Amino acid sequence: MDQLGYYLATLVVYFFIYNILVWGLNMQFGVAGILDFTYITFFAIGAYTAGVLTAGPASATNQHYILGLSWPFLVAMVVAALVAAVAGLALGGVALRRLRSDYLAIVMVSVGTIVFDLIANNPNLFNGNDGLGGVPSPFNDILQLDPNTYLYFFVAFSGVIMVGLGLLSHRLTSSPLGRAMRAMREDLEVAEAFGKNSVRIRLIAMMIGCAYAAIGGALLIAFISAISPSGWLPPETFVIFAALLIGGRANTLGSVLGALLIPVIFVEATRFLPKSPSNPELGAALRNVAIGALIIASLWFRPQGLLPERRWRWKGPLPARGGQGIPDA
Amino acid sequence: MLAIGFGLVTASVLAIAAVGLTLQVGVTNLVNFAFADFLTLGAYLAWSMNVGWHLNFWLAAALASLGVGVVAVAANILVIRPFLRRRTPLVFLLIVTIGLSLILGNLNLAIWGSGYRSFDLPNQQPFHVGPMQFTSDQFLIIGISIAAMLGIRLLLSRTRLGKAMRSMSDSVELARASGIDTDRVTHVVWMLSGTLAGLAGVVLALNLTTFDTGLGANILFVIFAAMILGGVGSPSGAILAAVVLGLATEVSAVVVNSAYKNDIAFLALVAVLLIRPQGIVRMAGKN
Repeated sequence: MDQLGYYLATLVVYFFIYNILVWGLNMQFGVAGILDFTYITFFAIGAYTAGVLTAGPASATNQHYILGLSWPFLVAMVVAALVAAVAGLALGGVALRRLRSDYLAIVMVSVGTIVFDLIANNPNLFNGNDGLGGVPSPFNDILQLDPNTYLYFFVAFSGVIMVGLGLLSHRLTSSPLGRAMRAMREDLEVAEAFGKNSVRIRLIAMMIGCAYAAIGGALLIAFISAISPSGWLPPETFVIFAALLIGGRANTLGSVLGALLIPVIFVEATRFLPKSPSNPELGAALRNVAIGALIIASLWFRPQGLLPERRWRWKGPLPARGGQGIPDA
Repeated sequence: MLAIGFGLVTASVLAIAAVGLTLQVGVTNLVNFAFADFLTLGAYLAWSMNVGWHLNFWLAAALASLGVGVVAVAANILVIRPFLRRRTPLVFLLIVTIGLSLILGNLNLAIWGSGYRSFDLPNQQPFHVGPMQFTSDQFLIIGISIAAMLGIRLLLSRTRLGKAMRSMSDSVELARASGIDTDRVTHVVWMLSGTLAGLAGVVLALNLTTFDTGLGANILFVIFAAMILGGVGSPSGAILAAVVLGLATEVSAVVVNSAYKNDIAFLALVAVLLIRPQGIVRMAGKN
């Protein structure tokens, strides 16, 4: 029974982290319509930044990484979010300024490939392909809990952060800023004609999303105390896209439903697929085939997602044809 | 000088792929993120026929390329065309091609596994052309590429089909209004694009001598860079851009760590998108 509890508590932490990740992508794609095809890169930036800030000096281990400052986790998490937001600003500043969405997507995919190669091939940055390990568990130097009790503590801790970010995301989506983002997603030129600075507002959406991705990454590395390039391969971005599309874009609870259905229930269930000794990648490959099919099927059968965006509707009598007070021509 | 020789071989591979992509994007106006998986599929189909069934390598290469062409047509008919008919917005179409890429790429991985493969070929003789040195395969790659490019050139300039493609690349509505069977031409374009992708995958694998399922994905953005640098929809621009990028990446590998040589292509891509998004070769009527 205790083992089941342990397993479920671990799943709950993953669910919380994925909620944060889907909300971040929702801000970028669901609300602002930015095709961030390299979202997982910002997750990785957050995880690595938090990792090297909270870990002790590399010389005390047999790994190679920069910094190693032994900072407290919360400070490291905030810095990780800021670093990712600045990275998003740099990328968005180049790509969002004047590119059509297909060229933007190409730039995103290219940047993702390059950052991945840079981190994987550079053993001195974040220990290269071997990955960063031995990251301390937050607060446990003070709490001194045994692993089981600590797990339940981490459920509560990540839950608090998750709820806070969820409320913030909900408020932002329905704020005037969020409305401006949604207007731009529907028609950039109309929104600009109403005096909205499209570059600035889309950059804000980009930065918020990147910060959410980084906080998710920071929580993950704090939880499992390690991350390696194989943990954030490019297809992982599309697991989060699948969650967002299936749950419902621009709907806070839609993101939660998507995070529960795709990365938690679906990916977790496929973990129990039979393993083939001749092809160790078979399970992961078939899982990603199914994710691709789910993305296409959901866009075909239910493009608005399971919980669609709530559209503002005019409650009063309909205005006369041709607009108020303006006679038909 | 060796680097320039390698650069010409890389350029030849890149030219086949970039022309295949730019034709399809030019005519259908949709960037296809599954293109990398077409390359990988081509290399593995050829490998299975060459190593598994002991077919002659060049016959295997031809059959594999055509096989990828058929897969590309099927992908268009089964997935992309229905969404286009429904007038799905561009951002969602791009995600659909990503879904297609996840399916195709991971089917490649599921079928052939993650190990390294190489073709069953006789030993190579080094070849000297002036100060440059090639293996006989690399020499053949350059020859195949030139032949394929001349073929495309003739197709586009001398045949009714080629003219129909060019007119669709300018405006699908006008092409349809003037009686062109745009559906048929679209099928041909996907067939051609898939076949060129498959061929590019085979010669890329041949040039690298060993390959795995990351084959296409590793150079996808270099192909994108060549397409954009050359101007989307312009095969001659794509060829020119492939030569520029092929030489630039290989020559830069002499100076920087060769793990980062493709990043030169990325810098070129970003520079072009910011300074001259229409590409180096300007097409009349395309912006």
